[in-house]
Amino acid sequence: MSGSDQESEAQQVWRALSEAGLVEIRVDEFAERIKEVKRVVVVRLRELLDFDAGSKERESVASSLGTLKGLELKVLENTPKAPDPSGM
Amino acid sequence: MQSTAKVQSNEANWPPEEGEIISFKSSSGVETVVLTEVRWGLVWRDFILEDGRVIPEHRISGCPQPQVWRNIDEVSDYEREECEERLLAMAGARLDPRTRDQPFWAELNQYLAFTYLRFKQTGRKLQDTGR
Repeated sequence: MSGSDQESEAQQVWRALSEAGLVEIRVDEFAERIKEVKRVVVVRLRELLDFDAGSKERESVASSLGTLKGLELKVLENTPKAPDPSGM
Repeated sequence: MQSTAKVQSNEANWPPEEGEIISFKSSSGVETVVLTEVRWGLVWRDFILEDGRVIPEHRISGCPQPQVWRNIDEVSDYEREECEERLLAMAGARLDPRTRDQPFWAELNQYLAFTYLRFKQTGRKLQDTGR
């Protein structure tokens, strides 16, 4: 790979992550970003199931999905609740 | 004190070494601090500061451009699983990832970026090859 290829690859990674809002996640956006990444993982899992491909990869993808789900629940649990106007 | 700080900005000497003084952008402006460690995460390098904060490389002054990224294919299953276990342990300990520049915030950022790149890329490869 040439230097310019490397450079453009680095720039592509930066752009992909920036556009997905994943370079430096804003503190109030974690739950939303986890959801979006979960969506990407689910798409990949569906592809693997549709093509009946790689049982090892399926397991790995499913495991990542489980991790993301666990993290999402914890992040949501720790998110301060907005005050309930009916309880005032 | 800042005037005597030897701020790292030379690309040939990048990354700075442990014990060097570096400056970086924080929410309160530019800070100058002592670097404790430089550590590769799943996607980019993190700079660990004396006070325990974890700063991604691109926020450090003098970081060469374009930034060096890790090829996600070189991250082993073992390394990924270790990261997942640490994240779940930190979440289980009720640490809050919304505390900026802290280890949980930093590691969750990298894990989400890594997972996104991992599956976006493999999905594209599958489509590119006509399946």
